[in-house]
Amino acid sequence: MRSIDIHAHSTPQCFQRAVLAGNEWHGMTAADGELFNPRNAWTPDQRIADMNSIGIDIQVVSTNAGFYQYDRDVAVTTAIARDCNDEIHQMTMDYPDRLAGLANIPMQDASAAVAELDRAVHQLGFKGAMIGDQVNGKTFDEPEFLPVWQAAEQMGAVIFIHQGGGTIGTKRQPRYHVRNTIGNLADRAVTFAAFTFGGVMDKCPDLKVLLAHGGGYACFGIGRMDRGWQVRSEARVNIDQPPSNYLDKFYYDCLTHSEPALRMLIDSVGIDRVVLGTDWPADMKIDWPVSWVMGLKSLTQDEKEAILWKNLEKMLGL
Amino acid sequence: MRSIDIHAHISPEGYIRAVEAGEEWYGISGMSHEFHRAVPRTMWTPEQRITDMDSLGVDVHVLSTNAVFYCYDGDANTVAAMDWECNDYVSQLTKDHPDRFAGLANLPMQDVSAAATELERAMTQLGLKGAMIDDSVNGKTYDEPEFYPVWEVAEQTGAVILVHQGMQTVVGDRSTRYHLPNTIGNLVERAITYASFVFGGVMDKYPGLRVCLSHGGGYTCFGAGRMDRGWQVRSEARVNISQPPSAYLDRFWYDCLTHSEPALRMLIDSVGVDKVVFGTDWPFDMQIDWPVSWVLGLESLTQEEKEAILYRNLENLLGI
Repeated sequence: MRSIDIHAHSTPQCFQRAVLAGNEWHGMTAADGELFNPRNAWTPDQRIADMNSIGIDIQVVSTNAGFYQYDRDVAVTTAIARDCNDEIHQMTMDYPDRLAGLANIPMQDASAAVAELDRAVHQLGFKGAMIGDQVNGKTFDEPEFLPVWQAAEQMGAVIFIHQGGGTIGTKRQPRYHVRNTIGNLADRAVTFAAFTFGGVMDKCPDLKVLLAHGGGYACFGIGRMDRGWQVRSEARVNIDQPPSNYLDKFYYDCLTHSEPALRMLIDSVGIDRVVLGTDWPADMKIDWPVSWVMGLKSLTQDEKEAILWKNLEKMLGL
Repeated sequence: MRSIDIHAHISPEGYIRAVEAGEEWYGISGMSHEFHRAVPRTMWTPEQRITDMDSLGVDVHVLSTNAVFYCYDGDANTVAAMDWECNDYVSQLTKDHPDRFAGLANLPMQDVSAAATELERAMTQLGLKGAMIDDSVNGKTYDEPEFYPVWEVAEQTGAVILVHQGMQTVVGDRSTRYHLPNTIGNLVERAITYASFVFGGVMDKYPGLRVCLSHGGGYTCFGAGRMDRGWQVRSEARVNISQPPSAYLDRFWYDCLTHSEPALRMLIDSVGVDKVVFGTDWPFDMQIDWPVSWVLGLESLTQEEKEAILYRNLENLLGI
């Protein structure tokens, strides 16, 4: 049995070398990069040793979300993305059996994003890209992003959705870590809605969108989205089917921190749509992820294997 | 078998007359008037309401004034006077139709001492069962100590605090399209309100406080695992509570307005069937259309669970 983790982050060593020497790195400083967590400073060797200890065979590595930098000049963001992608590429070359990559792309400029996605997939061998839930306040139903989805669809690239910066919860409740524990899940539900109600999933039927954190509240809240679609014309401008019909068009990681929530996710979207994602090495990660999945009483052995590796093996060709 | 609906709104007769005359009512006009004209059932008389309740098989409406009457950003004295009229009106309806109506008060939450005073009047003089309030008051959440006096009166008088969003939700900052500020936003708001009461230590400070979260408590029960993880790994989540947030799930009540059988099933399994009550959102488009029929038809609920939701739990909670 294998285990492949789609949700595993990295703070590039090139960034660390610069900021820990007291220099800026493309305008970023030591305050960026989540270095308060010492594991973000680990070398690839230390990462592999930790993967061995928790039983993870392959990490599909993305940077930490602090490296999105969508609000910067596009040339700067592109330079950041290229450096990040080149370093992760080197990691995948050094450990071809253990590491694969997801790219950073400058989403504030769709043509620049497409160019870097193309380089990442075709020259660096990446599996896709990780992007935020929004770009400078714009959600992914905006037509300006359509070229990115079309390019990803054509390349077979996975688009992994993961919040960056503040969430919907931040302004209302900045205390108690609610911006993360509720906000991440709210952001993901809105992103599901933006892709679905916005008609993107109809325009790009083969687009592979993978929603981190189990897709957040998307599956649990789908009944109310359906009701909204039934009674409100503004919810039907782009789609002829209820939003629940799109649940099985997306992929979802298993990062729910709840067995009943994971069970509901599987029952809502289908077992072939749920994959292993741990959020390594953040404090909000699953601590012993393979052990956690293996120990879930409400999942069959087939379901556990689908989540741990079979679905990602097929999806990513690993 | 009875059915008691805790999530049923009303607009006061005095306001309806103002809409029909095109006049202001305590400073309310414009968008609110258009909203009422667009949903004719908000303008129905009590008799028309009872006829509709009969057709739906709903025995009792626990009436709350519509959320447009929160007006927390208005002048506190003006809003307190409006709330007084709202609450007198609802109280009179419960006296005119004691078998069909109970009532929840509207409170001027921007003035906490006035809100506490009005809640006390509603409970001790008007015979109401509690109050309906928004998820936040001019940006402030209910972990703020300034709201303690309201919880204190609610606890002392046995008032039920029904939480229901106002006209805008946090999702509106991200997307205003596709009715998402309602279909996702209401449910996010309710989860944040749960978190504010729990992480803020309010449920420990007021162990007898009875809070009912509308819309099934939103995303609360589904997302409790991640809140627990946050509590485990972040000290700022533990400043006020020494138990994980999921330990408080059964401290709240929740209406059944999930628009989803699996979601309702998960809610019952998470919080206990004695904490789930009947709520329909009458008379709005996001209501449950045939609510008694919907509950009775749910295949994953036992007969006892259906009866607990339809009337038994609210009989106990409200004493009706």
